[in-house]
Amino acid sequence: MNNTLTLLAVSVASVLGLSVMSNAHAATNTEIFAKAIAKQEAEIALLKQQLTTLASEQKQQQQQNKLVATQVDTVVQKTAEAHDRFSRFSVNSYGSAVYTSDEYFDNVQDTSAERRNRTDLERIVTEFGYQFTDDWSMEVEIEYEHGGTGSALEYDGFDEFGEFESEVEAGGEVVVEKAEIRYRPSKAFGVKFGNIHLPIGLSSILHKPSQYLTVQRHKSEAAMMPTVWNENGIGVYGEMSDFHYQAQVISGLNSEYFRTYDWVASGHQKRFEEVNTDDLAFAGRLDYGNFKTGSAIGVAYYYGNTSGNRHKSNKLDVDGALRIMSVAGAFVEGPWILRGQYLYGTLDNADAITLANKTTPGLRPGNFAQLGSESQSFFVEAGVKLDEWFDIPMTVFANIDYSNPLMAVETGTATQRYENTWSSVGINYSPIPEVVIKAEGGLHQVAVASIPDTNFFALGVGYQFSL
Amino acid sequence: MRVKHTAITLALITTLSACGGSGSDDTSTETPVVPTTGFSFVATEMIINLTDDVIVAGYADLAAQGDTLLLATQTLLTSTSQADLVAAQNAWKSARQPWEQGESHIFGPVDSLSIDPHLDSWPLNTTDLQTQLDSNSGFDAETIKAWNDDVQGFHTMEYLLFGDGVNSNTKLIADLSTKEREYLIALAEVFRDYTAQLDDAWQVSHNPQDKNAKPYAELLKTPGDATNTIYSSQLAVIEELINGMIGIVDEVGNGKIADPFGESLTTADTSKVESQYSWNSLTDFSNNIIGVRNVYQGEFTGGADKQGLIDFVTAADTTLATRVASEIDDAILKIQAISGSTSMPFRQAILDDDGRARTQVAVDALTKLQATLQSDVLPLLSDWNS
Repeated sequence: MNNTLTLLAVSVASVLGLSVMSNAHAATNTEIFAKAIAKQEAEIALLKQQLTTLASEQKQQQQQNKLVATQVDTVVQKTAEAHDRFSRFSVNSYGSAVYTSDEYFDNVQDTSAERRNRTDLERIVTEFGYQFTDDWSMEVEIEYEHGGTGSALEYDGFDEFGEFESEVEAGGEVVVEKAEIRYRPSKAFGVKFGNIHLPIGLSSILHKPSQYLTVQRHKSEAAMMPTVWNENGIGVYGEMSDFHYQAQVISGLNSEYFRTYDWVASGHQKRFEEVNTDDLAFAGRLDYGNFKTGSAIGVAYYYGNTSGNRHKSNKLDVDGALRIMSVAGAFVEGPWILRGQYLYGTLDNADAITLANKTTPGLRPGNFAQLGSESQSFFVEAGVKLDEWFDIPMTVFANIDYSNPLMAVETGTATQRYENTWSSVGINYSPIPEVVIKAEGGLHQVAVASIPDTNFFALGVGYQFSL
Repeated sequence: MRVKHTAITLALITTLSACGGSGSDDTSTETPVVPTTGFSFVATEMIINLTDDVIVAGYADLAAQGDTLLLATQTLLTSTSQADLVAAQNAWKSARQPWEQGESHIFGPVDSLSIDPHLDSWPLNTTDLQTQLDSNSGFDAETIKAWNDDVQGFHTMEYLLFGDGVNSNTKLIADLSTKEREYLIALAEVFRDYTAQLDDAWQVSHNPQDKNAKPYAELLKTPGDATNTIYSSQLAVIEELINGMIGIVDEVGNGKIADPFGESLTTADTSKVESQYSWNSLTDFSNNIIGVRNVYQGEFTGGADKQGLIDFVTAADTTLATRVASEIDDAILKIQAISGSTSMPFRQAILDDDGRARTQVAVDALTKLQATLQSDVLPLLSDWNS
């Protein structure tokens, strides 16, 4: 552009210079003079034309520049949008594999235990989330348990001569553990619905391998209620200063599957494609602090009827109201970790439910029909992170799990056979923050004096990451 | 960045496609093959006879024994007479007979109403039993029904009536505590109720919840009937009967005898012996196989000849029919022979070299019978021009 202008200036200068020189001859020859003028005029006209052309070219170029700029803008914007969309998408995963070695008894009369070692790809969990807008989001959690799918054959040592039975619900399985849509206009208030986690039991809150110290999740909770409990329903939640609250209305349990050894846990309706929701339940929780990130204390409460969700509705004409209360605390400060939970539950008309389960054709509760009218369990785990003093990313811990799903029965005396205590010590070693390797050894005691104590040992590896 | 997103996409697709893979099973309906050869047999009379004269008669007998047993235990409440205790022990053994024989056809209400575990759970939970005795008084039947099955039924009563059975099966009436007596009576009442319920299910209504439900005997006798939702054909009934026989032969040979027997004397485990307190084990086992004979012959031992599965097998192969009959008899004799010349109870026999040899002979006889039923008798169903 600048070159063109310089050229033009030079040409104009030369033309003017020429005209000055020719003035000398003008007086002598008018014709020549006129010709020269005409020529100059013609040249000027040409130059003007060239100038116009140049100006229009310049304008065109400016327009083009503008267009390019807009296009660049668009591309930049789109890239940003795409980046934004991907940043609204989240993927997390965690999982664990364990090796356990414990002693078992052949049948209820057997008092000499045999040792059995087992390995299990406990679970691989994948979580997908998407933030639609600032307020709306969703999350789906898919869990692969025991490394596969399908029905499994189980050995029931309590049965007559030991019975092999195929269990549709046990063994490897793929479960949608959570599938929820969330609307959260503010920190203080949010709504979630779909298949949601109940806030009862710390395992529902702390279920990643690095969030608990024992090799397997706490046995005490599993012996009493569904762990990592999910139901279909709707819940509100939020936080105000350091208080976290949750309140939910969800599908209830089915008392047909309540069993002596795990109280209401197997009443979790996973056996069928559709969940009976004639009886709804309420779950609420209030925490001060945050269990996931550190210290907290909290209470939780569950209330629901369980008779209406029975398949065989004419077997029971009384309510089976179920209440579970929980008190939990965590102190996580510097190298110290201390967590504990106490659960207590009551079940109305436990005897009537027992009798109904025993006499429903084809239900087969076997020898495990009798239900506790009260149930309790607790755990306390304490750990110290050694990296505070040594250059080693390791935590040593001690743990006690206690459960008694048959704490009291409506009539008669409850047997202590189901009153279990597991005491253990162990380590958590994290070579990198995403991986934890665990070892644990301990003592399992049954409250019945004639059943000898047994020792158990377990190894585990867990991982977790977020993209 | 792009690689990462592609990886995520791939992971998502893989996961989602893995989730969506559940499909319904292909249940192809089998077209019945019309045999060009085979044998003919009219099964109606045999089915009616087996239902009424073997199965229903057996459960009616069991219910009657339940009544007798309750009376015998009630007598014990304040008794000081050893004869009363022996009478109750004998009533228990008498009730045991139709029950064990009935295990050869343990289908229908006994299974669907879960009555089997209420009556005959094994092993007994002596720890819990002791807890109940220590902490309760004035036992009543309705309460006991809500307890777990391993503290009620035959074996709980057996333990209270006969003692622990380690060195002997005789208990003195003086050793029977008041609480034991009360518990025993309540247990016998529960037992009576369940045996009556079982009898009713066969003769009155197979579903106590539904007054219009037919007696189970009716269902067995009218296979293929439009309203019969359980048995679609006579073939289905005969198959159920043969499988019932196979089931108990398997359980006696490979469970009841083989499990406590173990591979060697060192792995033998007397704690697994059923009916060890009363030393009634060998009687139980032989009654199981006598139950097989009842179904096969069509009548109880010593009864007038009626149609049984033997007539079905005879129609196909007379040699086989005779062979099965003799294998059944042989198995019964070999089981009874385990006690030897010294009337050794089973729990002692498995700890004795000669006893173990005799036990092995009985197991072999049962294995042979089971193989015959499975590979020679069951396949006859496909040759039958029903």
